[in-house]
Amino acid sequence: MIEKLFQLPWHVPFGEFSLKLDPLSFIFLIPVAIMILSAAIYAVGYMRPFKATKSMGLHIFFYFLLSSALVLIVLANNVMLFLGAWEMMTISTYFLIVFHDEKASVRRAGFLYFVMSHCGTFLLILMFFLMAQNGGSMNFNVISHSKFPVLLASAVFLLAIVGFGVKAGFIPVHIWLPHAHPASPTHVSALLSGVTIKTGIYGICRVLWMVGVLPDWCGYLLLIIGVLCGVMGVLYALGQHELKKLLAYHSIENIGIIALGMGVGLLGRSHQMPYLAVLGFGGALLHVVNHALFKGLLFLGAGAVIQKTHTGEMDQMGGLARVMPWVSLLFLVGSLAICGLPLFNGFISEFIIYFGLFHGLFYLPLQGAFSCAVGIIALALMGSLALACFSKVYGTVFLGQPRHLKEWPQGERTSSWMLIPMLFLGGWCLWIGLFPKTMANVAFSSGAYLVHTDLSRLPMENIFLPLSFIISGALLFLALVVGLIILRRRLLKDLRPLPVRETWVCGFSQVTSRFQYTSSSFARLIVGMVRTILFFRREGEGVKGKFPPKVSMRSSVHDASEEFLFKPMFVFLTGLSRKLDINRIRHTQIYLMYIFLYLIFLLAWKLK
Amino acid sequence: MNIVFLILVHWLIVLTLAPLFTGVITKVKAFFAGKKGPSVFQAYFDLQKLFQKSSVYSSTTTWIFRAAPIVNLAAVLVLSLLVPVGVLKAPVQFAGDIFLAAYILGLARFFMIAAGLDTGSSFEGMGASREAFFSCLTELALFMNFITLSLVARSISLSTMIGADFPLSWKLMGPILLLVAASFFIVILAENARIPVDDPDTHLELTMIHEVMILDHSGVDLAYMFYAAIIKLFVFAGILVPIIFPIQTGNITVDMLVFLGAMLVVSIMIGVVESVMARLRLNRVQNLLLIAFALAFFGFVVKMWKG
Repeated sequence: MIEKLFQLPWHVPFGEFSLKLDPLSFIFLIPVAIMILSAAIYAVGYMRPFKATKSMGLHIFFYFLLSSALVLIVLANNVMLFLGAWEMMTISTYFLIVFHDEKASVRRAGFLYFVMSHCGTFLLILMFFLMAQNGGSMNFNVISHSKFPVLLASAVFLLAIVGFGVKAGFIPVHIWLPHAHPASPTHVSALLSGVTIKTGIYGICRVLWMVGVLPDWCGYLLLIIGVLCGVMGVLYALGQHELKKLLAYHSIENIGIIALGMGVGLLGRSHQMPYLAVLGFGGALLHVVNHALFKGLLFLGAGAVIQKTHTGEMDQMGGLARVMPWVSLLFLVGSLAICGLPLFNGFISEFIIYFGLFHGLFYLPLQGAFSCAVGIIALALMGSLALACFSKVYGTVFLGQPRHLKEWPQGERTSSWMLIPMLFLGGWCLWIGLFPKTMANVAFSSGAYLVHTDLSRLPMENIFLPLSFIISGALLFLALVVGLIILRRRLLKDLRPLPVRETWVCGFSQVTSRFQYTSSSFARLIVGMVRTILFFRREGEGVKGKFPPKVSMRSSVHDASEEFLFKPMFVFLTGLSRKLDINRIRHTQIYLMYIFLYLIFLLAWKLK
Repeated sequence: MNIVFLILVHWLIVLTLAPLFTGVITKVKAFFAGKKGPSVFQAYFDLQKLFQKSSVYSSTTTWIFRAAPIVNLAAVLVLSLLVPVGVLKAPVQFAGDIFLAAYILGLARFFMIAAGLDTGSSFEGMGASREAFFSCLTELALFMNFITLSLVARSISLSTMIGADFPLSWKLMGPILLLVAASFFIVILAENARIPVDDPDTHLELTMIHEVMILDHSGVDLAYMFYAAIIKLFVFAGILVPIIFPIQTGNITVDMLVFLGAMLVVSIMIGVVESVMARLRLNRVQNLLLIAFALAFFGFVVKMWKG
């Protein structure tokens, strides 16, 4: 694909209003456009109950500000423009997150996001100025033509990983993410998880595009980050009881999968293996699109559920499939997609990443092959853990019986403003899952653009042929399902109507919904196995005696980087600033004098 | 030859031979217990009986409960196309079919677990939870085996990897293949709910996994589940056989007889293991599965060492 440039005069020092549409920004523009549209439509239905108590104008204003910032970020071709749009995104997202600002937890989550984002931005400013100084221009295109010395390239890479990693949710700088997602209104969470965190990935990709030559270890670092984020993200998710928090941790897992693909791609690039590089980056970029689609879908579904039940606690839900059949069906689509199961889009991108990893396993030198093996194992583990996690979510939220009520109130049905965007996203998931060729092509051409190679010279049919087999396999599977349904119908034809009884619980006379496994008990085995890593804590005691009194118990999983890295750090910083506070000057006049002296200094410096 | 014809023949053979395989295992177990035991054709009779029965549904369940057997059987049938049966080559082979194999089983598992939770009973929930947990560990071992085999065969197509096209050389790769075969044997036992991981014969103890998960299914639904389990066991054994008996003479009859003999050996092996071992305590199962992973990992290390 050709690059398209668009320029306008813009009187900002070092800045120019230069937009560029190239394959790399194109692939990010797809999820941005889809998600902005879907979340906006959804919000019409979702925000209705809040209309009476809150003013919508500000929220809508910041929503549009965020939308335009997102588009600007992926199109910006100039450092100043990029950073401006980046700040615009951070600030507007903050205001969107704190919509329910009457709650203290929401304000805290928003503040945490704000602080973390700005720490990241600080590193980004540093990084961009290093790059601009080396390239002699603020224009991305010009910078990309300059040669970077190894040391500078490494520094830029590290700054990008940390600075953009804050936004993307790399462990351990991810801690704002599991707080901000549950705090914000659902359509904002969907946008945050689907698109905003991807801007971090976009930033890293753009830097990789500009810095053409990087040392070997960069690829390994990305691989390690991918494995760490992927496995830890899904393990944390398994330990959650809150639906949106669980989904937030799954975003970290999927960012891990994306980082894994990018790591393989980077290894391919630094070993002069363009095919491997395109496989890795192509898979990662396709997963960017896919994750936006199914995670958006899941968040929108979760929002509908929370609107119905007025709680996010999964252990209080159950049996919702009866009262909200459409939401449950679409949530199932999202769940299957996020587990990377065939028929849906998640499988396609994971397949390509697997393919890349195996290619690396065969052709990379020893340490590369070994890392690829680790990556394959990690990806397999992520897949099966995600399956455990989402079968748990789907089972406890939608199936079985309500856990705290006798029956869900029929009441108000989910508005079609909310259902239509979900249907739209579910359709995308299925389309990419069954007809992946178009999107895979787009992803591969962006990958090829990123590594500066020509796609037509690579043996891409090696990946498209298996993809076509997979599609036929999926279609065959669907045909088999239809065939088996028909067979079942015929076999049961003379026996209808089929008897309906209570669930067989091995002889108990009264079945209650309290018999059911909860999400915590379902995940207990897995969480129990890795309890030391997850800092699993349990409060309260179990039942004792033959006629036990009422007891209560709660269990929780704690984020190591939050508890042991950031909490002590913040405590230290607070202590430090308190100490400095003692010496603070308490007279405004002296501050004014400082300003005056500084002005004189500047004047003198200018006159010199 | 026409691909549709090949697929149909493949299914026909798998569908007819698979119940016999289970029958042989049961016979071996009966022999060890000093009993006469049911006929080796018992699985056919069971299937026939179940297909004629009506289904009973719990008032708690939704369509997921009904969909699970269908998805399960369809997934296993797709899986069977990727695996050779003796001289019959796998009708569908392509680079990366191992991922389709692993993930289509995942699809079936998702629906099984969901159906278990759909009944709203703690028994099914318990089974579902265990299935989810153990399958994570089994998946690790399975993929480690895939990695090692793919390095041996320089391919990521299942048939090539297990040496169905070109027999793997035990002379060159002996230690690696031994480790892989041992590891994969444990995977077979775990994936197919056999002793020492699970007990296929009962569901009434609190320790069961697969059988308790399908406790509420009946009639045609149970028949689908039952058939799927039988085919899955057969297919997994069909993956192991070419690895441990890499014999190809070129003569179709001889090869087919070798294959059937090898399948007999595998079924006897499973039967013997089930007879001489007790089911492991639940908190020990994870150790066994990690051993399977470790075995495959050592195979990988040896392969990397030898280059």
